[in-house]
Amino acid sequence: MVSKEVTIGNATGLHARPAQKFVQLAGKFQSQIQIYKNNESKTDAKSILGLMSLALEKGTTITIEATGDDEQEAVDQLIELINNFGDE
Amino acid sequence: MDLKNLISEATIILSLEATSKEECIRSLTSTLVDNGVVSNAEVYVESVLKREETGSTGIGFSVAIPHGKSPGVTEPGLAFARLQNALDWESLDGNPVSLVFLIAVPEDKAGSEHLQILASISRKLIHEEFRNKLLYAQSSQDILDAISN
Repeated sequence: MVSKEVTIGNATGLHARPAQKFVQLAGKFQSQIQIYKNNESKTDAKSILGLMSLALEKGTTITIEATGDDEQEAVDQLIELINNFGDE
Repeated sequence: MDLKNLISEATIILSLEATSKEECIRSLTSTLVDNGVVSNAEVYVESVLKREETGSTGIGFSVAIPHGKSPGVTEPGLAFARLQNALDWESLDGNPVSLVFLIAVPEDKAGSEHLQILASISRKLIHEEFRNKLLYAQSSQDILDAISN
């Protein structure tokens, strides 16, 4: 299991188009991937509604946790994607 | 965010005939004007359409959630329509939309209010049973019950 924290930096937060990109990327990995928000709520990183249900706005810190053969790659690439959203 | 405080039978259109995204948004807006949520329909609709331009709010599952934060809004509100004929909404999954939630939030409200409403709707939409209730409801009251539950 690999897990890492990241803070949402883009203005619109993680919903609509950025969420779609995130879910698409997550879906490419075999690992099971969970997103935790404030250690209280969690969701499947491969579900767009799950992601939207967390209300991930700018400044929210989440933990991405992956378990499986490609867990390290999954966490690294998803974090990179979030960091690259810029002003979207 | 309790959705039942935002929506009422008067802001639910059980079977809406609309030929475009804009027509659908305008029809839903008029229900929000009637119940006092929206004070300036033109200003509000413009903010909703502007938001659509930056990226579709069609999230898949036949659902779109257009929204606008605008000075034309007096208090937060929610309207819902089921479309008689599904519309192309440039959805994330490429499928047409037949269920539309329209969110209205005043300009001066804290930044994340519409995100909280969006999150509450998403939490419900995760359940297929809820989506089916919206698709097959026989009355506005049935839809209101499903959303309020």
